[in-house]
Amino acid sequence: MGRSATPYILIFPSFLLAAAVILWPLKEIVSLSVHDVNRFGIMRDFVGLDHFRTLFADPDFIAALWRTLLWTVSVVVGTLVCSVPIAMILNEDFYGRGLARILIMLPWAVSLTMTAVVWRWALNGESGMLNSGLRDLGLIGTNIQWLADASTAFPMQILIGILVSIPFTVTIFLGGLSSVPEDLYDAAAIEGAGAWDRFRTITLPLLRPFINIAFVLNTIYVFNSFPIIWTMTQGGPANSTDILVTYLYKLGFRLGRLGDAAAVSLIMFGILIVFTIVYVRLAMREEQD
Amino acid sequence: MNRKKLIRSLISWLLLAPVIIVVLFPFAVMTITALKPASEVLDPAWWPSQVHWQNFTEMWQTTGFGAALGNSLYVSGLTTILTILVAIPAAYGLSRYRFVGRSAFRQFLLVSQMLSPIVLVIGLFRLVAGVGLIDSLNVLVVIYVAFNIAFSVWMLQSYFTTIPRDLEEAAWMEGAGHWRTLVTVFLPLAVPAMVVTAIFTFINAWNEFVIALTMLRREDSYTLPLRVFSLVAGRYTVDWQYVMAAALVASIPVAVIFAWLQRYLVRGLALGAVK
Repeated sequence: MGRSATPYILIFPSFLLAAAVILWPLKEIVSLSVHDVNRFGIMRDFVGLDHFRTLFADPDFIAALWRTLLWTVSVVVGTLVCSVPIAMILNEDFYGRGLARILIMLPWAVSLTMTAVVWRWALNGESGMLNSGLRDLGLIGTNIQWLADASTAFPMQILIGILVSIPFTVTIFLGGLSSVPEDLYDAAAIEGAGAWDRFRTITLPLLRPFINIAFVLNTIYVFNSFPIIWTMTQGGPANSTDILVTYLYKLGFRLGRLGDAAAVSLIMFGILIVFTIVYVRLAMREEQD
Repeated sequence: MNRKKLIRSLISWLLLAPVIIVVLFPFAVMTITALKPASEVLDPAWWPSQVHWQNFTEMWQTTGFGAALGNSLYVSGLTTILTILVAIPAAYGLSRYRFVGRSAFRQFLLVSQMLSPIVLVIGLFRLVAGVGLIDSLNVLVVIYVAFNIAFSVWMLQSYFTTIPRDLEEAAWMEGAGHWRTLVTVFLPLAVPAMVVTAIFTFINAWNEFVIALTMLRREDSYTLPLRVFSLVAGRYTVDWQYVMAAALVASIPVAVIFAWLQRYLVRGLALGAVK
């Protein structure tokens, strides 16, 4: 066998595995989304775009679509805004830095499902420790039923989403900051640049590629994130905290509307593809500048 | 002691305090609830009147925790080993060879990174149900490996590229074969990247929820996240002291390993993320 076959042999196992587990289900979803499917998964007549029409006529779907946008943007932006200063502090040399780093990274080690279960209990209206903690501090007078109403449940879920995304993001930024040469700051300090100037002209530009990668990865993770909302409210009360993933799961595995669920999958796939293409374009244009 | 550093430390901790309080809050809730006697769990007071350690042993007996722990260890361990074994050759191929389809393969990896299991869950369920393998932990492993390949190949490849080719060439000159060079020269240099990739894969598999929720039906095949979830989902009465004890026991070992390896993650991720 010649040299030229070697790289193909090397990549073949990973390609085969990923293709089997990703391309085959993708093909299934495409065909489910254009056929009439009964709740036992038997495919019947070809129905074209009917499932998509059903979805776009369904106010719950439209609401979930908008809520997904709100969820993704809030969590990703919130995470990036919190993570930059946290990473900068953790990059400083101070007593107990090792401990501080470990504490900030801690949520990463706990599964999202467990985190969500714990918060669900902490946010319990009658016996939850958040209410008792806030009452003890005199911040609230009466108990708040956090999860009974979307106006408090969804913001709480966004906050938890930010909290669990911070460790990964801070880790990426810490890696970025550790590659910034110290003498750049010294030089800037000699030239009389203030802290904000140093941040704007040195830290931020050098952190840029790391912010980009954190932005893309977080967007993909958060957009697809299921356990927090599913564990805390299952999209309730009355679908008011549903995002696309939880809505998809309900359609598919609760209501048995497999065709509609497959159509939601494809819409999500489409959104992710568009996002990635836009990002790659932007990133490439920046590189040329 | 350095006075300037002392002041800086004080300011740093002060600024980090709000985040740290929020981070530690769920751990406090877990610990305190897990130590409350059953009669006080629904009482919203912070501190229990007495510490009830028996919750841990009772939880272990009543919730099937041990079996779930075993399942999680099996699934995560096997996933990690297989992912690394499959990803190393692919990453090596990508970093050392120029070949037709190289960029197509990279794009394929990018797309598979984008598609998390939840987007494909309907199709995956049909695939698995079609071959009659619902409830099989090995099927779970195969799915996890497939979804972890992209990230692992990416990480390993960017690290492999930083290992100078000269080292391998020198070994070839001295008469070592390709295979021997790979095993004795190249791979030892790549150990840090493999460790980081392995930790990531392990934690991903350990924490995965939606595929486990969909594919596992019988309680004795549940993994830990599913086990804990099933203790609270759709029940009228929840024994919160057991749930919190279970969550605590499931979280502490991973948190300790994580704290221990955290510095490698910073370095590894920095290398892998951007290059």
